[in-house]
Amino acid sequence: MITTAGIDIGTGAVKVALFKSDGDKTEWINKRTERIRQRDPYELTKSAYEEVLKESGMTPEDVHYLATTGEGESITYSTGHFYSMTTHARGAIYLDPDTRAVLDIGALHGRAIRTDERGKVLSYKMTSQCASGSGQFLENIARYLGISQDEVGELSQQADDPEIVSSICAVLAETDVINMVSRGISTSNILKGIHLSMAGRLAKLLKSIKATEGVVMATGGLALDTGLLAALREEMEKEKVELEAKSSPDSIYAGAIGAALWGAFRYQKLAELDKLAKAS
Amino acid sequence: MSTVDTIIQRCQGLFDDLNFTYAREWKDADPERKVIGFMPIYVPREIIHAGNMLPLGVLGGGDQLEVIQGDAYYQSYICRIPRSTIELVLTGRLDFVDGMLFPSICDVIRNLSGMLQMIKPGFYAHYYDMPQNYNKDIGGEFYVNELQELRKAMEKIAGHEISDDAIRNSIAVYNENRNLVYKLYAMRAEQPWNIPAAEAYLLMRASMLMPVEEHSQMLVDYMGAVAENERPKKDNCRIVVSGMFCEQPPLNLIKSLEMSGCYVVDDDFMMINRWPTVDIPIDGDPIANLSHSFLNHSLKTSATYEPEEEEKGKYLVEAVTKSAAEGVIFAAPSFCDPALLERPMLQDALNAANIPYTAFKYSENSGQMQPIREQAGTFADSIKLWGDQS
Repeated sequence: MITTAGIDIGTGAVKVALFKSDGDKTEWINKRTERIRQRDPYELTKSAYEEVLKESGMTPEDVHYLATTGEGESITYSTGHFYSMTTHARGAIYLDPDTRAVLDIGALHGRAIRTDERGKVLSYKMTSQCASGSGQFLENIARYLGISQDEVGELSQQADDPEIVSSICAVLAETDVINMVSRGISTSNILKGIHLSMAGRLAKLLKSIKATEGVVMATGGLALDTGLLAALREEMEKEKVELEAKSSPDSIYAGAIGAALWGAFRYQKLAELDKLAKAS
Repeated sequence: MSTVDTIIQRCQGLFDDLNFTYAREWKDADPERKVIGFMPIYVPREIIHAGNMLPLGVLGGGDQLEVIQGDAYYQSYICRIPRSTIELVLTGRLDFVDGMLFPSICDVIRNLSGMLQMIKPGFYAHYYDMPQNYNKDIGGEFYVNELQELRKAMEKIAGHEISDDAIRNSIAVYNENRNLVYKLYAMRAEQPWNIPAAEAYLLMRASMLMPVEEHSQMLVDYMGAVAENERPKKDNCRIVVSGMFCEQPPLNLIKSLEMSGCYVVDDDFMMINRWPTVDIPIDGDPIANLSHSFLNHSLKTSATYEPEEEEKGKYLVEAVTKSAAEGVIFAAPSFCDPALLERPMLQDALNAANIPYTAFKYSENSGQMQPIREQAGTFADSIKLWGDQS
């Protein structure tokens, strides 16, 4: 039985996941998310990691492989680093083994990833335009509209006549929203319009990676936005992307889960190759 | 005692200084001293050194020099190093240099020697030709003549004769330096976590900007300091980088490769520091020895002529094997003929040896590292996770 940890430093939050593994058997033993909120992400990461270990009755020496992902390359106390696409693919497979595509929707960008059943990335595509398709944009809009982020999904699903916003530029999209507010458009219809605009781009990404079967798992900070997921299903239907769009209550941890599980995989592989010293 | 940090800070200071202050100060310390600039990838520094002159490696302006006038001299489809070198000349940053050598690496560098002759009439800007035929009686004879011509030119600039004994002494000094460089490379291949790629690179760049004796001492000090400075070991993959032998990548690019999960265990930076691959004999005719060494013991690179097709890329496969690397990153400057034209043949050799690789291009002022990190990072992941399966 080995213990591995995954740390995912994103733009908006730091996520930590702790696992025990024995061959193919895995047990998720602890997790933690910390919103960065203008704090030093590396100090925040260290305290979150220490807290997770403390809660689990462990010390850093008990961890066989600490893997970072996202912006975690600079962490000096890690064993190794995996790139975000690699970890999100593996994390999504963990959350639903039928996953064959992943939509990583983070604070700064969206990314569609096609994967096989092992979590190997087969192809990917990122949003290439500016931040209007991102979580940061949605967070800003929620603040302008005076609602909490938790309310966004539910309000969006109450829309009866959504107003589409610019999907090209965050500045134009924000201008659109200001105009809508002054025109008396309801908050629900504004939010649904934004969701449809973002979902339209994500559906096109999914189409471009030629994902044709299985589940598409939403990961990243926006995965739990039920309004966005509903809009995504509508847009996928329009684009004829015949996948089942899902998210998991633990979708935000996909990167950290993937890092921890790849860490275990790598640890075992190095053990087989008799190169364990390399990962110590 | 010097620490790793103090040595690397010194190298960084030399690297950042586009006015070549240290070389200027070296020259100003003695009115007899001269400075001879040279471009990549190889010149016989021994002859320059034997004339009590400082060989100064000029490797373009990097990412801190704004090229304004230099662009007027070259078309848009030419690499950046000649533009920034012209900029260095036109802005007076090389005004203390007494001559410049332009080795036969590509047409662009050859033409740069002509540009300098036009910009600075009377200035010694010499196209330094190297043999493409490695037969002793053909290329060998040609090269001996070329070396003698260079010797005469250096004597004229130095203002005194350059004796055989002086050249023999310089050969010995450079042999020592080269052995230390090889030792550093071997040490890095053994413990890449203790000698980060950026530090090895800065040490190699420092050799371009200071007297060789001082550089040798610096290498000794660095290797001693590294032995006392164990660093955390990461589960990174081991890679060889190929293609960066002329126009230099930004330092951040080299750092990005390592941050992405790749330990650089061999490279082709500043190849002159490891050229030739064995000691040059110090007995006998030094010019004949330099020529023999070039014909028979030159470092292999895509910038030198390889007459045997089956030999193409063999050196790269051997570099991977020798350094126990797991893959190759081809990183070449945009529009670099020697690197980019040779790449398909090198890739064929790697395919035949089942060695994975990835490739990208850069220029000396590339600023966006995210796509490079993404590419190098996914390459590292693919090696670590799927290296033994499809």
